[in-house]
Amino acid sequence: MDIGVIGWAMHPPADAIRNARLEEIAFRTARAALDDADIERRQLDSVTLGACDELDGRSISSMLLAAPSGAYLKDEIRVTDSGMTALALSAMRVASGRFDLALVISWNQTSVVPVEDVMRMRAEPFFLRPVGMNATIADGLFAGAVGREHGLDEAAVADLTVERQRRAQANPRGLRRAPATREQVLASAVRAWPLRAGHQAPITDGAFAFVLASPRWLKANPAHRPIARLRAMSWSIDSYRLDAHRLGALDVFAHSLSDVLARSGRGASDPIDVIELEAQTGYHDAAFTRKLAERPVRAISPSGGTWAQNPLFCTGLANAAEAVLQVAGRAGPTQVPGARFALAHGCHGFAQQAHVFAAFERVES
Amino acid sequence: MSQGVAVVGIGQTGFRARFDELTYPELAQQAAMRALQDARLSPDDVDAVVFSMAPTQFMGVNDCDKWSVDFVWARNKPFMRVHTGGATGGSALHAAWAHVASGQYRRVLVVGADRLTETPDAQFILNLIWDPFYEQDFALNTVTMTALSTQRYMARYGVTEEQYARVVVRARRNALNNPNAHLKGEITVDDVMRSRRVSWPYKLYDICPRSAGAAALVLADEASARELCPRPAFVTGLGAISNTVFQGDRAVPSSDAEFADHAELAIAARECYQQAGITKPAGEIQVAELYDPFSSFQFPHLESLGFCERGTAARLSDEGAFDMNGLVSVGPSGGTLCTNPIGVTGLVRVADAALQVMGRAGDMQVRGVRNALATAAGGSAQFHTCTLLSDEPRGRVHS
Repeated sequence: MDIGVIGWAMHPPADAIRNARLEEIAFRTARAALDDADIERRQLDSVTLGACDELDGRSISSMLLAAPSGAYLKDEIRVTDSGMTALALSAMRVASGRFDLALVISWNQTSVVPVEDVMRMRAEPFFLRPVGMNATIADGLFAGAVGREHGLDEAAVADLTVERQRRAQANPRGLRRAPATREQVLASAVRAWPLRAGHQAPITDGAFAFVLASPRWLKANPAHRPIARLRAMSWSIDSYRLDAHRLGALDVFAHSLSDVLARSGRGASDPIDVIELEAQTGYHDAAFTRKLAERPVRAISPSGGTWAQNPLFCTGLANAAEAVLQVAGRAGPTQVPGARFALAHGCHGFAQQAHVFAAFERVES
Repeated sequence: MSQGVAVVGIGQTGFRARFDELTYPELAQQAAMRALQDARLSPDDVDAVVFSMAPTQFMGVNDCDKWSVDFVWARNKPFMRVHTGGATGGSALHAAWAHVASGQYRRVLVVGADRLTETPDAQFILNLIWDPFYEQDFALNTVTMTALSTQRYMARYGVTEEQYARVVVRARRNALNNPNAHLKGEITVDDVMRSRRVSWPYKLYDICPRSAGAAALVLADEASARELCPRPAFVTGLGAISNTVFQGDRAVPSSDAEFADHAELAIAARECYQQAGITKPAGEIQVAELYDPFSSFQFPHLESLGFCERGTAARLSDEGAFDMNGLVSVGPSGGTLCTNPIGVTGLVRVADAALQVMGRAGDMQVRGVRNALATAAGGSAQFHTCTLLSDEPRGRVHS
């Protein structure tokens, strides 16, 4: 895969965006991405949305959101899994040779949505829903399973959580909250044992958009130099069952990671300069980090990850933006010196049923 | 680099009001299993899965696609759900095509299921697709919405309720040849005209049923397709379009795509035909499987698809031009008017079009099919997809 990233934008994150409807959030973000790419909307031939009806609070949410996202009288398609899956589909559409210039956009305004009610209704009605399954309980089960599988102790998880928060405070694209202390994390309320409130990254509102270009378009428009190359994507899904192996083994995380590196043409010893992880809790972060232990990774989540901002449905795209900025050398205070190859990670589904990776490379001048 | 893509396996459950003996994922599994068997593949032969499902509120589980993962053998594979309202099945097919055409995957299963009667009245759910501040209180649903565009079309072209009734009669008769169809039978124009008034000009028989069922297709790259299937159905053209949600904006003189004509569909069709090298649809396309949940959809759609001039489809319909083996055989399966499991209807349209190209449509088979068109429509009739299936990989998509 050889796709140029020629523009991107994010809506300023907030705990709650109260001065705009979703349509306005989408419009502002799409408009900013087109401006960043220095192209007009009429030049687009493909728009891919990543949006979830239930989190958007409407059936067929794209009815209202497609046009403000730039898709008016365009070939538009939508996925409902996550923003990262939209990036994957958009990239394949360009790689098919049918499209040359694509916008991919995703958003999250769950400050006005009862997220756990949505998550509870994601549970099938025969077993999981009657026992009260929701995202927090699924994450608690995950935390317990990976804790046993990887020998994670509570203090180490708290330390990692604080470290990520400290990094997030330095990220100018995030909310720059003051980090908690180890003691505060350890003393916070238990949400679903062993998961504590202090382990859970707060969900924020936000939106992200990218403009992708085919090699053919870039060759015909040499004035548009891509800020990064999307080299590969890989995504996989695990079983819906929340048994101990499914929760603790992280099979799909490992499989998708290996696959994206193989598709990027990288060997086991080739360095990964940056990987930005979507870790909804400190336990996720610790488990993913353990899984990366045998890989030559220079920096894990230098942006602070979900502690910088966590627009739930499109957090993976926040990571994609950070990865693009890293290989472009534009990450500012969170820049990893000399970063040439960066991975963005996203996940979705109960207890991270699915994992998505995008591999970005520096575009040499 | 684009690589050729073909349909090599098709699976459908029958469609009916309810499947009380199967859970949702079991229903999806039935179609997936049949498609894999049809393609003579095992689940391990499939590289990726695309799931086709529209609003989940119809059946009450938000992540019904994730619930289905183990049942459609998607575990440890790339998996995504596509949802563009009624156009979902067409869009899911396009997404699956992109998986293969991009060269990223060789064999992709696209599967979905829907069960609209899990909710007491689908139209209450469909009221929720509109803006909560401006439109939901107007009692808009898909029936009242399309009744408005139908009234406008009738006023522009002088079409009568009886002419729409003849469309219903033809669809129910064609459906007699389709073992999977939900509604079928010999009815008369008078039967349609006497059925209960719902929203003028619609009577009950002008409106599709609420169906349950599942559909699946296996797509493969050209080399695999030729190995697996003696006569694959090649995807030679794709087009899709997304218009504004606001119907009023489409019903003014400055509109880019006239509301009554469903004119945005013409843009998608043009793109689809350009890829396939189609210049005279009426002579080159033998079958059209249309997304026509209402009797009034066929006329503007056939005109937007270039089979006839604006305002002429009703007269041609009366003359039999859209009957089996007519100018173009429209809905040999009985179409959406007889079967509408919304989340997979677009897939069913592609499946029935592909069967025609493969020469495997049974009693529905039209003579000498080289090209068959499948459409899907969704939202406020704002989303449209066109997919052309052909007996050979001709056209620009395959160049």
